[in-house]
Amino acid sequence: MKISSVNYLFKQGVRNIWTNRIMSAASFCILMVSLLLIGFTTLFIANINLIIGGIENKNEVIIFLNDDVDDERIAQMEVTLRNVDNISEILFYSKEEAFSDMKADISDADELFEYLGDESPLPDSFRVKVENIEEMSATLMEINRMDGIYRVKAPNDFVNILTELKSFVSIISAAILIALVIVSLVIISNAERASVEMRKREIEIMKYVGATNSFVKIPFFVEGMVLGIFAGAAAAAITIVCYSRIGDVLMSDTTIWTALGAAGVISTESVIWKIIFGYIAAGAVISAIGTVMSTRKYVKV
Amino acid sequence: MVELRNVSVTYSNGVDALNDVNIKIKDGEFVFVVGKSGAGKSTFIRLLLKEINPTKGRIQVNGFNLTKMKKSRAYKLRRTIGCVFQDFKLIENMDVYDNVAFVLRCIDAPKRYIRQRVPYVIDLVGLKDKAHCKPDELSGGEKQRAAIARALVNDPQLIIADEPTGNLDPGLTRDIVDLLKAINNCGTTVIMVTHEHEIVQEFGGRTITMQDGRVVFDDII
Repeated sequence: MKISSVNYLFKQGVRNIWTNRIMSAASFCILMVSLLLIGFTTLFIANINLIIGGIENKNEVIIFLNDDVDDERIAQMEVTLRNVDNISEILFYSKEEAFSDMKADISDADELFEYLGDESPLPDSFRVKVENIEEMSATLMEINRMDGIYRVKAPNDFVNILTELKSFVSIISAAILIALVIVSLVIISNAERASVEMRKREIEIMKYVGATNSFVKIPFFVEGMVLGIFAGAAAAAITIVCYSRIGDVLMSDTTIWTALGAAGVISTESVIWKIIFGYIAAGAVISAIGTVMSTRKYVKV
Repeated sequence: MVELRNVSVTYSNGVDALNDVNIKIKDGEFVFVVGKSGAGKSTFIRLLLKEINPTKGRIQVNGFNLTKMKKSRAYKLRRTIGCVFQDFKLIENMDVYDNVAFVLRCIDAPKRYIRQRVPYVIDLVGLKDKAHCKPDELSGGEKQRAAIARALVNDPQLIIADEPTGNLDPGLTRDIVDLLKAINNCGTTVIMVTHEHEIVQEFGGRTITMQDGRVVFDDII
């Protein structure tokens, strides 16, 4: 196909939007609403995952060391722990610090502390944070392999609940998103079909005068793509405005976020380009494919 | 050349539209195909345009073997045929110029050729002053002239006119048939399907009469 023909077909596609403006407006609105539905659901799921991630970061494994472990061995153990992939943070908590903190916490037990003397009865320990709690048991096995460990205390119940919650949220969010995409595709495809149905005579004429299938489909493809880009841009603008307002309201009280261990909702600034490009690309692709698929029935003349 | 050999068409609902039809039309002929409604005229045209396939028999049009041709290649055949329909089949949102130029754009014709050829053909059918009118601004006769210009612009080997005068009054009917005859005089094969016997009586020539899916008469009147 010559460049001039491609140019002509692109112009025809853009011109068709105005010529069939009522159906174009209907397709635009349906596409925009569908994109908004998918977009807001995706943002909601991303925020839920962020909150779960915040809670996940609160996990802490305490490794109590034997009394006979000296400073050199402690340094070696720290190096070994740093080489474990799934450990994100390591803090050494000496028995002196532990005893001092204990004294501060239990203020009305002077007699007990007097009896114990200055020597700390508590063991030295490492406090580590596990990056991926789903691999907690493998990490614990690796920790337990080290010499000089008295006991390892891990939040097993917390890990089990969180792992189940994560998989539940993943399955539910995937199901909701898939259902929404299917429903949107059906709605969009029906809207496009109604638009194409009105122009089946035009397609029939094109075929009678010797147009190839691609010659018939390209203007529809361009038309769908341009409408999708505009619908995506409009949906992106609405999402950015609404999401930043919702974010402002939710972030006005930080107490709940502190309790949850999360920094807050995902900021608009950090996802603004993802929203714009995501919506525009999804709008253009879904609409262009939907329109071309709707013409299939009519090009069989 | 158009050739149908022992062609039969049975639709999926069991209706026998054509029954063992044999027709041969040589290059440069003008042929009337007449018959009542349901005689098989429309099926005959649909076969020639590769819109449907025969249940039995062989069809050859302008050097293409339609029996072997894939539907996706039908555009190659259609580019050698000009079609004129009873309901004109003009694209409503395009003016006369664009309706005619559209055929050339479909076949990737050079812009310069389109600029030269389209006004020439529009002038030939007497629509020079209406070139930038939309179909709804034209009379029935003018719409049919525009459709003929569109059929003609690609310099086809064959023009198929399906009831081209069906929506026109007698005066305009004569004009349209005269125009088709003039095109035929330049060497283009013309097949004109009609149910109006008066036209055939008036203009004469080779006439194929169809009845119940069979050719019952094929001779010069």
